[in-house]
Amino acid sequence: MGLLDSTQLALESAMSGSMLRQTLLTNDLANADTPNFQPQDVNFGQTLAQAMASGNSPANVSFTPYTQAQTVGANGNGVSTDLTESDIAENALLYQELTQITAAREGILKSAISTVA
Amino acid sequence: MSFFDAINIAASGLTAERTAMDVTTENLANANTTNANGQPYRPQAVELQAVGSTSFAGQLNTALAAGGASPMAQSLMSGGSSPAGGVEVAQIVTENVPAQLVYDPTSPQANAQGYVAEPNVQPVTEMTNLIDESNSYQADVTAMQTAKTMYQSTLGVLK
Repeated sequence: MGLLDSTQLALESAMSGSMLRQTLLTNDLANADTPNFQPQDVNFGQTLAQAMASGNSPANVSFTPYTQAQTVGANGNGVSTDLTESDIAENALLYQELTQITAAREGILKSAISTVA
Repeated sequence: MSFFDAINIAASGLTAERTAMDVTTENLANANTTNANGQPYRPQAVELQAVGSTSFAGQLNTALAAGGASPMAQSLMSGGSSPAGGVEVAQIVTENVPAQLVYDPTSPQANAQGYVAEPNVQPVTEMTNLIDESNSYQADVTAMQTAKTMYQSTLGVLK
């Protein structure tokens, strides 16, 4: 097992997926009043889990955004502001969780290195 | 797709909503303007559009997706639809509503029958639009703050 094991790579991949999702959700919110706009989202957790279950390296996973074809507003807009806002809050918390786990693992590495030195 | 995209997209939303609020306020301020270049004032509306494939960034992304970009960048851009780039004001249109005629024979602008053409600004509609735009603005501010918290937690890893 190398220094960058599959857990570390999966954390990095999940963080980039979460960042992509944040960008998409923010874009949805910014376009909440744009006529005929359909919101985009990405299910990075599922993609990552499938890749890891089939034995692929988490580092090579690519996430594909999908468009939610739905109409909520009278102008053909499909953005539900409430849902998007709660998704943004949830995704940001998940991201912080990932960074804290990453930081904790870095701490373990640091203490191991300082024991040797 | 750069690191600070979420903040830039939220900022584009702030600009668009602020422009919409400017136009709504202008409509309210001119609710009684009977002589705007010889005509009664016509209410205006903002037309928003998603920053997409027609913009420079969209075309650049399409060109990069065709080849030359890193696998990570290609995966981010191969979403099938236009990449997330925020929102922009497409144009400010003049609403096609006829002026309303008000009977006021003493006005110097009255016609032969004593009617004055007044702007057809509906204060209730404009106020509702203003509330809507204000809410959208606040939602964009919240999204920007959330993105900022995320970036800060990324920096926390390096401590």
